[in-house]
Amino acid sequence: MNKNIGVYVCSGCGIGECLDAQQLVALGSDEGGAAVVRTSPAFCLEDVQLIRDDLDSGSVDSAVIAACSHRVNADVFSFGKAFVERVNIREQVAWSHPPNDPETQEIANDYLRMGIVRAQKAVAPTPYTEAHERTVLVVGGGSAGVAAATDAARAGYDVVLVEKSAGLGGYAARLYRQFPKRSPYRALAPIDVEGSIEQLQSLPNVRTLLEAEVVETSGQPGRFTVTVRRNGADELITAGAIVMATGWVPADTDTFDAYGRGRYANVVSSMELEAMAARGSIVRPSDGSPVARAAVVVCDGQGDDRHRPYGGNVASLVALKQALYIREQYPDSIVYVLYGDMQTPGPYEYFYKRVQEDEGVLFSRGDIRSVTGNGDHDVVLEVESTVVGGPVRLSVDLLVLSEDMVPATADAASGALSLSYLQGKELPTTKFGFADSHFICFPYETRRTGIYSAGSVRQSMDLSASAQDGSAAALKAIQCIEQASAGAAVHPRVGDLSFPDVFLQKCTSCGRCMQECPFGALETGEKGRPVLDTNRCRRCGICMGACPVQVISFADYSVDMLAGMIKAVEMPEDDEDRPRILVLACENDAYPALDMAGIGRLQYAQSARVIPVRCLGSVNSILIADAVSRGFDAVMLMGCKAGEDYQCHYIRGSELLETRMQNVKETLDRLALESERVTVAEVAISESDKIPAMIDDVVQTVKQIGLNPMKGF
Amino acid sequence: MPTTLDVEPDLGFKQEILGLGAQDLTACYQCGTCSTVCPIATAENPFPRKEMVWVQWGLRDLALSNSSIWLCHQCGACTTYCPRSAKPADVMAALRDFSITHYAFPRFMGRALNEPKFLPLLFLIPAVIFTLIIGWLGHLSALPDGEIVYSKFMPIIYIEVVFIGALSLSIIAAAVGGVRYWRAMNSGTNDSGHRRLPLIPTLLTILKHRKFKECASEPATGRETHKEHLYKSHLLVFYGFLGLVVTTTAVGIGIYAFGYLTPWPFWHPIKILGNVSGIAVIVAIAVLSYRRIIDKEKAGKSTYSDWLFLHILLWTTVTGFTTEYLRLAGIRELAYPSYFIHLILIFVLLVYFPYSKLAHLVYRTVAMVHNARRSPGPEAVPRVLS
Repeated sequence: MNKNIGVYVCSGCGIGECLDAQQLVALGSDEGGAAVVRTSPAFCLEDVQLIRDDLDSGSVDSAVIAACSHRVNADVFSFGKAFVERVNIREQVAWSHPPNDPETQEIANDYLRMGIVRAQKAVAPTPYTEAHERTVLVVGGGSAGVAAATDAARAGYDVVLVEKSAGLGGYAARLYRQFPKRSPYRALAPIDVEGSIEQLQSLPNVRTLLEAEVVETSGQPGRFTVTVRRNGADELITAGAIVMATGWVPADTDTFDAYGRGRYANVVSSMELEAMAARGSIVRPSDGSPVARAAVVVCDGQGDDRHRPYGGNVASLVALKQALYIREQYPDSIVYVLYGDMQTPGPYEYFYKRVQEDEGVLFSRGDIRSVTGNGDHDVVLEVESTVVGGPVRLSVDLLVLSEDMVPATADAASGALSLSYLQGKELPTTKFGFADSHFICFPYETRRTGIYSAGSVRQSMDLSASAQDGSAAALKAIQCIEQASAGAAVHPRVGDLSFPDVFLQKCTSCGRCMQECPFGALETGEKGRPVLDTNRCRRCGICMGACPVQVISFADYSVDMLAGMIKAVEMPEDDEDRPRILVLACENDAYPALDMAGIGRLQYAQSARVIPVRCLGSVNSILIADAVSRGFDAVMLMGCKAGEDYQCHYIRGSELLETRMQNVKETLDRLALESERVTVAEVAISESDKIPAMIDDVVQTVKQIGLNPMKGF
Repeated sequence: MPTTLDVEPDLGFKQEILGLGAQDLTACYQCGTCSTVCPIATAENPFPRKEMVWVQWGLRDLALSNSSIWLCHQCGACTTYCPRSAKPADVMAALRDFSITHYAFPRFMGRALNEPKFLPLLFLIPAVIFTLIIGWLGHLSALPDGEIVYSKFMPIIYIEVVFIGALSLSIIAAAVGGVRYWRAMNSGTNDSGHRRLPLIPTLLTILKHRKFKECASEPATGRETHKEHLYKSHLLVFYGFLGLVVTTTAVGIGIYAFGYLTPWPFWHPIKILGNVSGIAVIVAIAVLSYRRIIDKEKAGKSTYSDWLFLHILLWTTVTGFTTEYLRLAGIRELAYPSYFIHLILIFVLLVYFPYSKLAHLVYRTVAMVHNARRSPGPEAVPRVLS
């Protein structure tokens, strides 16, 4: 397909002082065959009209703008449906390489060649707009669920709230008091469960299904089909997005064995103390007598392997609250609060101070060494590493242990959503059973697009935080519904209309795409071939990278296109001083870091040729083989950190790449090529300062092992 | 392995300390910044965090049997740096106040100096004693005639008898207090230290004000602490007071050994020493009081016993001067009453010293000697501040 391409070479921001624009102009019109080539001292100012005029007149259908990075001025260089390719000759050429140097000019020339290839091969995507159901399904009727349902309904969306028990409110209905919610954050606050439930039930567009459970969830954002079972009868509900607010359960009691739970009647959990407090009488369970001394232990898992290490501020705040319960009932009592770290975020610091002012509450950091019986007050704690100045022995009537909050998703058998996805019934989870997500950038996401977790199932949190979390997840659900009905990606490629297209005739039904998709977007269809649930897709291209026969591509992103761009780079032959290194850079972190290096005017080797990729997971091994056979002396794959603390926006991209690299290296070895030529580099978005050294390392490697012997073949 | 402490909180003690101007203690979250910035705390004996915790937990015996409370010279660096404004310096001051009462012998005297209601009684005792003497000498109805000579009004020998008698009792009482504290410190540590008492080095440290100098040294980040004047002010009041003591002693020796009767001429070196010392004391007290008044935030809480001591010392010195000048001016009707008041004040200042803030000269010295005895050997490894 031949397109009418317009090439626009900008000279602003120092580009003109560094590069010979005429060379780029000539390259565009001769080699590139562009219909129109223009230059400007600043295309981002009034000259943007020149581009718009060319597109409007029809003389140009795709614009290749050689100027700044695509990460800036996106709004200026946006022309409706017309395809725009941004060639980055500012941050990654003029700002990061010596001016008026033939090698620097060569980088710009190569980037323009690549841009023209990309513009030639890209097709405007046609969005998938078949799924546009607008109901929000909320699973779980605790604080988070009630808040999510209320706010989604108030925003005008129909809501179905499914709760497995006979009433709404969850833990909120079982707690005696909550931490202070208003300035001056001193007094414990009553919990208005009825108020929030009444508010919810007053909304006409909310259906509440009690004693109900989800037995199956299928479909995709914009059109989930959910089977809800109630009183033995099944009902089908169609929803656009799902908020999962299924909360937490206390850890098995054997977690507390070492603290004497089960052995001593007067060792209780925080939930048991809540129940006593709610009844209005905190007593020693053993004999019902008053409490003169008590210890409240913050089991936050810090330095204590018996406990889950994420209890954090909830455990701290619960301990503070419960110390006050005991002090209020027994003004002459002494309550020890023992902790690893006292975490009282934000205004809760005032609450902490208020509890400290109570002279009967005694605080210390400390590790519980042992809990035994038979002291003056029945339970005897030996505590090490206290700030009192050594180990101490405390005799108490009552020992309160904070519950470990285990997310409902940790119990695979609970199967809250029962997904009918090829990849399994459950949401993929991290090691503590929380739904996996890119926690920093997309905290509410799960790895099933359109299903958002909120409240303590997402992270241990208190009641008011859960309610806020529910509201936030409701907004994400609404955003998802709106995007899905327009056929656009929700995140991280917000608004992307493209999606993977499988050329089924050539598919070998190997199933790798279905297995490797981090989001379970591909299901098995006829003859074991993949079928895409489009709105589940996040457009990362991992399937495209996985496909051994390269039959998966996007309208504007494909193996063929990347191969064309690689091929477009002019390859000097047998010039020791001019090696060529292909850098495939993840557009989420590595590419911005490269831009940042340019903004910081950091200089790096002129031999690097950078191509942004949607995710390192989208890099098909054949591209690496292509690059090496084309004569590239080295290939660098620059992306995010893999592993437990992964930074990958698509969860598994970097991890999958690592396994693929093993195969690539074996292939290189078979070809008698040095496997050091292909390297993977981890770059965080903030690590632009490390980039020059990283590229230099590769240049040095090439110097050591020599130029690619395949050059020129 | 350190021994395990059986905790028995004494909340009454906690309340008493809070009541001595240390209310902000409750804000302490035990971070240890105070012990880190303290210019004179050591890794072997860090303070004041442990004292903060002991008071929070009502661990009275631990708090009172440690040398730290008296090693502290109240520079206020801890208060300046405390991230929670818990004012550790105020807590240390309160602990010292409390410990003077706690170790006092007899105990009721400790209370008498700390409770305003006993104040009239404290003055009444010397007033009655001196009134009786004057009355017996017949000066109540008529002041001595002729040139103003105070020994005509109150013969030196009476004064000597009263003061030597009362002060001997005071010194015995102070010694008992000091021994009580020493024993408490010994019981608080397994290590009783070297047998020899490093008295001379400690005395030199005191005379040179070495600790005050360390206190004035820059703490961690050079934030301004309020007590930068303290080294100089205390040096002035210390040597001023010492000068007055020397003057008084020299006058006694002069009278009894050489029969050199008072009043001595103005140019006499001892007389000059007395006048200069008196001025030094007044200037130092003026500075100390001024800081306490205008810089309350950083100077810390000023308690009843703080002001009582400052006032007694100030007015003792001031009446010393008025007595001198009224004599020179020849105003009989005022000179003799002034002398009478001066004697009462000296009595209050010196005789009650084991129970007032002046007791610090006993307790702080005892603490410094005790601590110097346990000076770390080369094997002492700094541990995490506790």
